[in-house]
Amino acid sequence: MLIVRNLRAGYGRIEALHGVSLSVRHGEIVAIVGANGAGKSTLLRAVAGLIVPWQGEVLFEERSLAGTKPPAIVAAGIGLVPEGRWLFPPMSVLDNLRLGAYLRLRRGEKEAVREDLERVFELFPILAERRKQPAGSLSGGEQQMLAIARALMSRPKMLLLDEPSTGLAPLLVEKIFETIVQLNGEGITFLLVEQNARAALAVASRGYVLETGRMVLQGKAGDLLEDQEVKRAYLGKDYREFAEGRAR
Amino acid sequence: MSDAGNGNGEWLPPAERRQQQLERLQIVCNRAYKNVPFYRNRFQAAALSPQDIGSLEDVRRLPFTERRHFGEHYPYGLFAVPLRDIVRIHTAPGIGGSLAVSGYTARDLKMWKEMVARALRAAGVSVDDILQIVLHPGLANWGRDYKDGAEALQAGVIPLNALHLSKQIMVLRDYKTSVLITTPTSAVQIQELLFSSDINPNELSLKTLILVGEPASQELRRRIEEQLHVRTWQHYGLSEVPGPAVAYECEGHDGLHVSEDHFLVEVLDPITLEPVPEGESGELVLTSLTIQAFPLIRFRTGDRVRVLAEGCPCGRTLRRLEWLPDRVDDLLVIQGVKIDKDQVAVRVAQTLGFAPRKLSVHLVRQGGYKALEVQLGMEENLFSDEIKELERLVRKTAFELRQEFGVPVEVRLLEGPSVEAAFP
Repeated sequence: MLIVRNLRAGYGRIEALHGVSLSVRHGEIVAIVGANGAGKSTLLRAVAGLIVPWQGEVLFEERSLAGTKPPAIVAAGIGLVPEGRWLFPPMSVLDNLRLGAYLRLRRGEKEAVREDLERVFELFPILAERRKQPAGSLSGGEQQMLAIARALMSRPKMLLLDEPSTGLAPLLVEKIFETIVQLNGEGITFLLVEQNARAALAVASRGYVLETGRMVLQGKAGDLLEDQEVKRAYLGKDYREFAEGRAR
Repeated sequence: MSDAGNGNGEWLPPAERRQQQLERLQIVCNRAYKNVPFYRNRFQAAALSPQDIGSLEDVRRLPFTERRHFGEHYPYGLFAVPLRDIVRIHTAPGIGGSLAVSGYTARDLKMWKEMVARALRAAGVSVDDILQIVLHPGLANWGRDYKDGAEALQAGVIPLNALHLSKQIMVLRDYKTSVLITTPTSAVQIQELLFSSDINPNELSLKTLILVGEPASQELRRRIEEQLHVRTWQHYGLSEVPGPAVAYECEGHDGLHVSEDHFLVEVLDPITLEPVPEGESGELVLTSLTIQAFPLIRFRTGDRVRVLAEGCPCGRTLRRLEWLPDRVDDLLVIQGVKIDKDQVAVRVAQTLGFAPRKLSVHLVRQGGYKALEVQLGMEENLFSDEIKELERLVRKTAFELRQEFGVPVEVRLLEGPSVEAAFP
């Protein structure tokens, strides 16, 4: 469904991605894990068209996204839930959601958008309760739900999620990932990047590990969770625990 | 949930296969460059960095890895993970007097288990089978991998053991073995032993014979199939590193499917080192795509293969190769154990205390057996007026060589002029 080949991208003169390739099949949840600064967000931003890649190919449903502007990428079926959510805090929950359907409303799909609003409120009852409240007054977890809900309003085939667990309490992280699994069950494909490798790999079918702009591991999510390297670097196990007790 | 990418990759459509191989190749290059000085130096010597590998064809810009490199970086120099992550260390006789060491992470072992299991499944092995492994000690690592793979299919396994062949045939009959994994040479020996012991093939439960370690001719296979009332299947593997069943036959028995989800395949003309077209033969060069602990980049196997046409009635999209009997290098293969002539000479010199001026190394057949024959030319250093002393030297040399390679050895003393000077 999504194919990325030899992607190089960065900011200014700094290259953040040094030739990255990955693929996401229809119906998958693919997690990209890696430390802060590994290039995870850059990767998603390049796929979403928010930055222009320096080199490489991005294909969505066999069509190249080269030179495609973000609105056209959204229209093609890719939704982005950015890190830090990027809501419009003074606007109401409802208006934030409508903005997510901006392209569709302009096309006059008013009725369909209304139906989708109902569906989103069913999915996130808390948002229905707070539909009139300013987005800025929601808790962190509610804001993340709103950000996902807003992305759903464009009826994406694939959602790109950038650090959905950031700043959330463990219980809320669980709730967000449950939602991802549920939406996946309804046919949405996911590519998510996460520092919280354990949570991401627990719901993903496959995963990649990105390290300073390069892919260094890939595999079934379950295998990666068991991988000594992943455990050491991303699952918070102390390195010394591994180094001790054997010949150094 | 689609899991084709990492589960069983036997049926991936070609476009997806190429993308998967590219992703994995790039990861292998990144890891080898980062973690293995040997590979990093070679990238740098070729003025390349891992990101220059942007297509599968770009692998051809990288230098080859050869058997001698295993010895040069003995023991852990080619490992790409910290020793702490290694859960199995395997040793095989190397070339040039050293050992070939390979390591496996827990994930590597799981990968091999799954790969061996699917190769066995392709030969129809299932939970209903009792599978016996009879291999030479030199192929002990394959014995372990076959055991793991067969157990993953929940077959009953009779693992590699130290029993003599005459006892193995008792096990074969009495334990009701239905699948036997062995080398073509051992298969012939077993067949001869069965006949000489008056065991009728009808008394056996054996139905599947998996031949490994060396290529088996069609003629040999047909003979074994007729006489033992079995079907034979070939598996191709790497004996030093890292394991068996890299390629395997499907029910079509027309060539071996290479596990292209785990290995990138090149078949190169041994002289020009250019890829050969379909239908032609060349040296098999393998790059590992999923191995963590002991990655191989463009490993020259020395094995000669012929590239078969794409598409197999079985539906597997893995490319098929025919494994040809002659080699590209001059290693001798006895019961699947690869023997370097130079190493034989080194060992002989160590045993005798001097390097004989006239020595030659051959592969000979003794009935159905293959053996290593070493011919020594008589010279002053060897000469003793006591026949006993000479005999002792010959026996000792043969013993040491058997110890080293684990294959039958014959040492013969000849008059000087009749022995070619194979070793300077």
